[in-house]
Amino acid sequence: MASADPFDSALDLLRRLNPKHTTKHLQSLISLAPDLTEDLLSSVDQPLSVRRCKQTGRDYLLCDYNRDGDSYRSPWSNEFDPPLGSAGAGSEGGGATPSEKVRRMEVKANEAFDVYRELYYEGGVSSVYFWNLDDGFAGVVLLKKEAKPGSASEGSWDSIHVFEAIDRARMTQYNLTSTVILSLSTNSTGLGDMDLSGNMTRQIEQELPAESDEQQIANIGKLVEDMELKMRNLLQEVYFGKAKDVVGDLRSVGSLSEAGRDREAQRELIGSMRR
Amino acid sequence: MSALETISSFVEGAPPGELADVIADIKALTVADPGLVSKLGPAFEKYNEEQFATVRLPGSTQPIIVSSHSSLGNGRYYDVESSTSFEYDHATQKASGAQSYVLEGAQADLTKTTLKSLSPYVKEHFPNAAYGVYPIENDSKVAIIVVANKYSPNNFWNGRWRSLYIFDPSSGALEGSLKVDVHYYEDGNVRLLTSKSVTTTVSAGSGAAIVKEMGNAEKKYQEELNRGFTSLSEGAFKALRRQLPVTRQKIEWDKVASYRVGQDIGGGSSRR
Repeated sequence: MASADPFDSALDLLRRLNPKHTTKHLQSLISLAPDLTEDLLSSVDQPLSVRRCKQTGRDYLLCDYNRDGDSYRSPWSNEFDPPLGSAGAGSEGGGATPSEKVRRMEVKANEAFDVYRELYYEGGVSSVYFWNLDDGFAGVVLLKKEAKPGSASEGSWDSIHVFEAIDRARMTQYNLTSTVILSLSTNSTGLGDMDLSGNMTRQIEQELPAESDEQQIANIGKLVEDMELKMRNLLQEVYFGKAKDVVGDLRSVGSLSEAGRDREAQRELIGSMRR
Repeated sequence: MSALETISSFVEGAPPGELADVIADIKALTVADPGLVSKLGPAFEKYNEEQFATVRLPGSTQPIIVSSHSSLGNGRYYDVESSTSFEYDHATQKASGAQSYVLEGAQADLTKTTLKSLSPYVKEHFPNAAYGVYPIENDSKVAIIVVANKYSPNNFWNGRWRSLYIFDPSSGALEGSLKVDVHYYEDGNVRLLTSKSVTTTVSAGSGAAIVKEMGNAEKKYQEELNRGFTSLSEGAFKALRRQLPVTRQKIEWDKVASYRVGQDIGGGSSRR
């Protein structure tokens, strides 16, 4: 029997273990199978960390795409924190930054998604990072919000949208992979503890015309906006519909025999009407 | 954390009905050290006893619970309703070596009358459940367990309800814990984990009175849980991200630069 690929098994395990503790499980997996470190870190989405930009005083989000060693690049200043040493063995010109043209688009995208964040999240933090590809460019749009609407309940939302924008004749091909990590919890005397946490991932591909930088950003904006609307609806359905239905499948509030008799009576009624 | 502690924690975290999948993953991740998986015995035992694993005895259709409260030691467990004891393999989750087991002692009558009331209650409210009643702590108390499982791996979800009560006949105290665990994993990983403790007294102290009190507590809890879904949906979820901006319109991306100037376009955006 051929044994399963360890990387696939690690991903399968992360799909099964409590998603509230993905970061902890990821560290456990890395200690168990150090060979998988790079592959796991670049393919498993974790809740985002926030850091304040020393140059601009604005918050930004950390991920694998703005990391160089132990330093992270701020989208607001384009500077790494902590600053990368001039030695920079292996890294080009003091850290991986996009080309001037792509950085100009990155600046505009950060401004656009800052507006998007305010309109949809009314708070939170957003960051957009772009990088060059041979036949176009790629990027990640990050959004994070934490909420504590009541004294007892709290929640956090992390959106991670990774895309490629590949040049085609007249058109640009966009490949978008989106993950939302949503954690909700509440507790009270009557309810005890209730935790509803998880993550969902969806992908989409689309070809759109893009003749200017502005149009590129508008295309990416629309794709992300449509995807988030779709995913918000999906999360609502799974968290508050499916999960609740399963609880009802495990235990019935009402009497099962009465429900059975009602169904039987209804069947008989329908049967007699047919006759 | 040692490698054994790490893989033991993976076993402990296995969702309802997915232990075999988790074990397969662990095996693939530890091919370099095949001896490691064979040391998981204690982790399997802990998992099965805490999750109230159910097992069918050869030739029987009634599921029987494995728990620390029904343990006879040396890997053997017993069931009162079928008057049977059996050997349980924690790694394969299979039973063997069934023998007759006659319950005796100070709580034997209360155990049996509680079982008699418990059976119709469970059938009325749990479509697929196992239950058991066992004298514990040197015949000073009685443990009552209900576990309901529903597995639908083809639709990428599994669920488990666990009830455990300890009744103290000397004080009439009934203490319980109710737990729900639901896993949904189609293109993602979503988990509902709940836990609620129950403290009440049953002055009559009869099996029927105990089961009636359980029924009250569980009905109340399930209603609270349904309200919990609503309050999380209407509260925390809505507070995180709007479905649409206050304007009820999607963003006009070609004009997004001008939004910047008129920051108040979103109406509520100045709330921060």
